[in-house]
Amino acid sequence: MGFKYIGKDIPRPDAVAKVTGRVLFLDDIKLPGLLRAAILRPDYAHAKIISIDTSRAEKCEGVIKVVTGKGCKLVYGDNIRDLTPIAVDKVNYIGQPVAAVIAETLPQARRAVKKIKVEYEPLPVYIDARAALAGDAVLIHENSGEFWHLPGIAPIAGTNIANRYILKKGDIEKGFEEADVVVEGEFNYPFGSCSALEPHGAIVWFHDDNTIEAWSSSICPFIIREELARVYGLPVCDVRVHIPELGGCFGYKSDITVEQTIAYIAGQVPGRPVKWVATRKEDFLSTLIGHGMRTQIKIGARRDGKLTTLKTRILHSTGTSADTGVHVLIAATHNSTGSYEFPNCYLEGNSIYTNTPPVGAFRGYGHQESQLAVERMMDILARKLDMDPFELREKNYLGPGKVTSLGETLHKTNGDMKECADIVRGIVFSKPKEISEDEKYYYGRGFAALMKTPKGATFSSKSCYLKFNIDGSVSINMGGAEVGQGLRNVVRQVAAEALQIAPERIRVYTEIDTQFSPWEWQTIGSMFTTQGGRAIVRAADKAIRMLKETASQVLRVGIDLLDYDGDYVFLKSDPAARVPVPELGRGYTFDDGRTIGEVVHTTADARLPRQSNPDENGQGTMGITYTFGAQACELRIEKETGKIIIDHFVSAFDVGQVINPVQIRGQVVGGVMMGIGASLHEELKFTEEGKAVNPSFRKYRFPTIKDAPGKQTVEFVETPGEIGPFGARGIGEHPVVGVAPAILNAIYDAIGVDFYEIPVTKEKIKEALDRGKE
Amino acid sequence: MPEKITFTVNGTSRTVEIEGSEKLIYILREKLNLTGTKRGCDDASCGACVVVVDDEAVKSCTFPAKKLAGKEVLTIEGMANGTNLHPIQRALIDAGAVQCGYCTPGIVMELFALFHRKRDATDDEIKEVLSRHLCRCTGYEAIYDGALLARKYLSEAVDR
Repeated sequence: MGFKYIGKDIPRPDAVAKVTGRVLFLDDIKLPGLLRAAILRPDYAHAKIISIDTSRAEKCEGVIKVVTGKGCKLVYGDNIRDLTPIAVDKVNYIGQPVAAVIAETLPQARRAVKKIKVEYEPLPVYIDARAALAGDAVLIHENSGEFWHLPGIAPIAGTNIANRYILKKGDIEKGFEEADVVVEGEFNYPFGSCSALEPHGAIVWFHDDNTIEAWSSSICPFIIREELARVYGLPVCDVRVHIPELGGCFGYKSDITVEQTIAYIAGQVPGRPVKWVATRKEDFLSTLIGHGMRTQIKIGARRDGKLTTLKTRILHSTGTSADTGVHVLIAATHNSTGSYEFPNCYLEGNSIYTNTPPVGAFRGYGHQESQLAVERMMDILARKLDMDPFELREKNYLGPGKVTSLGETLHKTNGDMKECADIVRGIVFSKPKEISEDEKYYYGRGFAALMKTPKGATFSSKSCYLKFNIDGSVSINMGGAEVGQGLRNVVRQVAAEALQIAPERIRVYTEIDTQFSPWEWQTIGSMFTTQGGRAIVRAADKAIRMLKETASQVLRVGIDLLDYDGDYVFLKSDPAARVPVPELGRGYTFDDGRTIGEVVHTTADARLPRQSNPDENGQGTMGITYTFGAQACELRIEKETGKIIIDHFVSAFDVGQVINPVQIRGQVVGGVMMGIGASLHEELKFTEEGKAVNPSFRKYRFPTIKDAPGKQTVEFVETPGEIGPFGARGIGEHPVVGVAPAILNAIYDAIGVDFYEIPVTKEKIKEALDRGKE
Repeated sequence: MPEKITFTVNGTSRTVEIEGSEKLIYILREKLNLTGTKRGCDDASCGACVVVVDDEAVKSCTFPAKKLAGKEVLTIEGMANGTNLHPIQRALIDAGAVQCGYCTPGIVMELFALFHRKRDATDDEIKEVLSRHLCRCTGYEAIYDGALLARKYLSEAVDR
């Protein structure tokens, strides 16, 4: 099927406003009477608060109010209510809000906040889940058993276990009995920071009429709105949330986090708006961090390479709260199979309270953590079986008729894993390695397959409001957040295709405002193209039907005899009998002025069809739209220093249908770079006392242009899916998923050393090389 | 005590009151409402706040306001001529280098300073100045391509 507007490089509608610096990010917003807040963070990662002395701060110039958490009874969270907006009588992590100053200017607030004196009584600190699980560990939340939570999620009272998810498929013991070979290993994906260039922040304004207005650099306006309404006892309609331009997200601006803190602070000065934007250090430690996942994996296989069983146990150091991390862990657990069919599975995920900032979404959402394990193990298993690793993988790939860990049977429309693998293999591995080492370098090549599911919610939906204007141009309003990924252009191109109207005549919304925007759960899980696109197609179909209904009265024929081409509604049998679309958009006006028909504006939404909660085995319709891909790299390791140089990185994904080639390449190239950062450099480190070692861009080394691979090759397979518009699937998170295992497999190929955790820094390589020489 | 200083911003003379250790970024964003210049890192490591002062790319988050007297400052707001984009801006769009847009103003200003100094800057020189900027979205490929394209557009503009 040929498309007119899909699959074309159309420039993004927001590019001019961004390249001129005219778009407004949160920190650019100024409001009448705007006050600024600065927040005090604790000296300890786990301690009782004995006293807070605010007297000196209150006397500082420009200070309106000093705020503490004394007596605060507010709790929040949309999965588990284990969050408080500010520390009450105890601090649980180093970035937690302890007190705040509201002042006329930011410098005034910052000067005053330093004058607050707090006395603490330190408690034992647990950074790693294993320490928090020890029998004598003190409880980070004494009352965790009492937290409200969604069905299927439950803290284990009297322990630091926030939730345990267990998935059972088949018979794990039988699987191991059938195995000729068993391999096992333990892998670690350490803490990381999404580190968008724009720091997170919020403005909250308690109005005199008892309504709340908020602005946030968040991707979840409606969750913020609903949670603020619940906490402050207001009808949801009385809370208005704006989302201005977003300077990147990558996961951590999801859910509700800093907004509750700023609301609590702003609530002390009703009538005036209060703005707070994170310093970079606060962005590292006082929003959400990522990963912190340790995966123990055990795989059984027959001599012929057929996989018989998979056992994984994941320990997730989820931080002070599990609200934002619990689903990351569930996704990591049931996707720990990677792209393979295991007839028998026992997969266990444990969310453990620890003394770090809360762990939440990070591009990839659990997949890269547990698939680092399975993809490294496939190479290790192939060695043990003395089998070609591609042959081993091919014998076990998920595909039509195969059943995932969740019990879902796949179909052709879920995409073609083998085709992706064959493309990558053809590019990188079609010839034997030209060179293994020379005077300066060792050379290696590595491969990883990957699978991604969205981890949505049963009720999650995305909505579209579509309006025909008087000239036949179209306005579209949705609740999806543009974070840089190119969502607005996807909306425009999908709408153009669905309506057969040129993209230049379609205007897509800019800011989100819950007062006007149609409801959307949140823009997560790489699901906007799929669900949002379906919503657009549905809204367009309704609009076309309305145009035809009016035209059928004008042309005096049945609606079934009419067709539509974007410009006209016309009689199929006689296209000359037609009505121009602009004459139908607001109803049709006859020569005598009498007007008939409806104004053409429509709404529609789309969910992931039939999504369910997990059953007693942890299974259910919870993956729904699967996406497969393969990645590989060619690298060099400098003998002298241990430095790893990525010469070529190759990715192929079955995305169903490419919407915009330039944008989709940009998503993949950027995602791969993020994965390279995690694999080789990035780790957010904490001392044993829970203090952060490297919460700055200088010390937390995310890649610069000098770390970019020599070349990236990006290919797409297009096996249309059933849900997304014109067969399209999402791609935002997928490019990070296979990067670490591809690199670590290549490192083994180069120097014969198996690494089980990242980042593999040049120091670690050097140490391994020196060890080898001994 | 506040002190009054006068300098030029995007061709217009401005006088502002400055206090203590205020930095150029604060003057631009908070006192002159030129919010196109972005704050990303607080330690001069990300480049989002780069503006051009007397033809040099500087990080406005560390540039002391006190040193501004008599200087000529160019910010992102001064780059386009009405709706006519500067060739560097056009090139970044054409190369698909704009994603979230937060690092973009700093990169435009950095490239402006580079090409102002050396219209035919080499590939390595371009890479070197871009290495002072962090971008979390693009993986740098499209930004680098955009910079090469900008060099081409600028040389064509001169030839014409």
